[in-house]
Amino acid sequence: MAAKLEARRTALKTLFGKIVSYFVFATWTAITVIPLFWMGYSSFKSNEELVKDIYAFPRALFDNMDDEYVVITKSLNVILNYDPVADPRERLIIESTTIAPTRRLMVHFLVKDELPPEIARLKPGERLKVSQLPASMRRKISWATIWFNYTASFTRGGLAKKFVNSVLYASVATFFIVLFGLMIGFAISKMAFPKLSAIISGLIGLGYLISINSVIIPLFLLLTSIKLTDTHLGVILVYTAFGLPMSVMLSSQFIRGLPDSLIESAYMDGATIFRMFVSIIVPMTTPVIVTVSIMNILGIWNEFLLVLVIASSEFTKSLPVGVFSFSSLQSTQLGWQLAALVIAVLPAMLVYFMFSRRLMTGVVGGAIKG
Amino acid sequence: MRRRKGENLLTYFGMVGPGLSVFLFIVAYPIVYSVWLSFTDFNPNRGGAWNLVGLLQYKTMVIDPNFWHSLSNNMIVVAVSVFGQIPIGFVLAYILYRKMVKAQFFFQSMVFLPQFLSTIVIGILWKRLFQADGPIARLIQIVSGDPGAQFDLMLKADTVMYPIGFALIWMYTGFYMVIFLANLQKIDTEMLEAAQIDGATEPQIFVRLILPLLSGTVLVSTILAIAGSLRGFDLIFALTTQGLQRNNAMVLSIFMYQTAFQDFNNPSRFAYGSAISNAIVVISVGLIMMSNRIGKLLNADEEY
Repeated sequence: MAAKLEARRTALKTLFGKIVSYFVFATWTAITVIPLFWMGYSSFKSNEELVKDIYAFPRALFDNMDDEYVVITKSLNVILNYDPVADPRERLIIESTTIAPTRRLMVHFLVKDELPPEIARLKPGERLKVSQLPASMRRKISWATIWFNYTASFTRGGLAKKFVNSVLYASVATFFIVLFGLMIGFAISKMAFPKLSAIISGLIGLGYLISINSVIIPLFLLLTSIKLTDTHLGVILVYTAFGLPMSVMLSSQFIRGLPDSLIESAYMDGATIFRMFVSIIVPMTTPVIVTVSIMNILGIWNEFLLVLVIASSEFTKSLPVGVFSFSSLQSTQLGWQLAALVIAVLPAMLVYFMFSRRLMTGVVGGAIKG
Repeated sequence: MRRRKGENLLTYFGMVGPGLSVFLFIVAYPIVYSVWLSFTDFNPNRGGAWNLVGLLQYKTMVIDPNFWHSLSNNMIVVAVSVFGQIPIGFVLAYILYRKMVKAQFFFQSMVFLPQFLSTIVIGILWKRLFQADGPIARLIQIVSGDPGAQFDLMLKADTVMYPIGFALIWMYTGFYMVIFLANLQKIDTEMLEAAQIDGATEPQIFVRLILPLLSGTVLVSTILAIAGSLRGFDLIFALTTQGLQRNNAMVLSIFMYQTAFQDFNNPSRFAYGSAISNAIVVISVGLIMMSNRIGKLLNADEEY
């Protein structure tokens, strides 16, 4: 009887533990997912909608068939999206009266030959509705309306250029981090200079204590004195240097575990060190290469302070810095701000969900053994 | 190690050279440079004229109320990391380890996710959520039924660190959870089974067996948390608006940034900024040594 009661009590206890556990994880997941989800769907809302009802789903930009447009003249502040020399067909230029009116952001150029005559005849200042247009144009305008926040933040914030910069920094710096990391890792774990290797690995291990943030001032002065501030090379150089400690550590650990006989046999065939490195070490270390690459790509993609300090022109700014300055400048254009956030966060999320298992092992390896 | 054919110093440096030179130039040299700068009155407004001034910058720092204000905020951040992120991370890892929830990997990757999103984007997003009339305020309005309710914690000097602490826990707990989980999975399960057969209850197993086994991991996590919190910059920078609000929530790295890169009237801004940076490093090394010491003391009376 007592044993039965005991068993029931433990069963109750585990049930209670389970409920609490699920509650904790479900809440945490909600706190992670809901803000990101809110950010995602709100980036398709018009400014008025965002102010009016914070949680409502987007409607205005999707419900665009009754949007009103006004015919405007071809003035200087209208940026053409076609080449008037190559394509001299006459066009009707219309601008939305609801989305950013008079700011020349929501402008369409309709070829007059493709329009019904009564619309092609409209004079500047006269109005029309989207539903009056032919189906193909309706579709095009509707599409442009839905993605309005995104195109606006891409063009207005110059995010396309910054996106390219971020890709460039992440890929080039990561390439050198992996390459140099493997070279040093191989030399200090498999080549016959143990004393020198100990010094070098100790020196690079010191890099673990120092982050970009802690030497940002001397870095800025150093790069200024060799004229590398505000250049792509300067940014890549710094990212490469600060990525090395983890890369060297993980590679040397892995290469140390490779059998010596493998290297010996390559020597028998008379290969040089560099040949052997490229043809044996590099292919054998793929797991390390992948882990180090993903961790560094994500780290560099998200890095902020270095670029904030050394990039003074639009030419070298990375996406986080671009998004930050854009969102503080456009604090009234809430929709654009959210679209910019999505643009910056989506690639990182994709990489994360593709490689989350590897990232977890990478974090553990990089953190504990360092 | 036996030297092989063609393995001489030249090839060795061919392997080590490119990476090592970049490292020495970009990481090692600035460390020395930073120490030197902090002992001078390096004046960028006069083309970098400098004199050695000894400890002057450090003396200015210790009488600067901004320094103490940022230090105390920074200590809050350290406390949130060490006494918030680490224990919560441990508990979450333990729940996953004892398989108390299904869909383990899904939950695990959800808690871990914020770690890999841009801190700036996360900061801007939470700044929006924390606005006085933003989504969280709206939630409070819906729950409390008071249409005028506002979320004003970010606006007051004495409460601004609460929402920031919340964001910090949300962002970084997953990191410690993953580290603890990996080390929990290394524990020999036979030992746990033996303890269960001997009649040990769950809490007993946790306190007597698992906690001591992971004391090393706790120590490493504490060191990482201290170092990370003292150098952390992006999140608080993005969460706050320049001016009063950022000054209220100022931590040492933001104080350093504002001194060196925004206070253009200060002729020794780089020297003073370097002194602050060096202080950050010294304080984190000090705290790390202290936690090492405490760890050793606590471990000294473990029985095995």
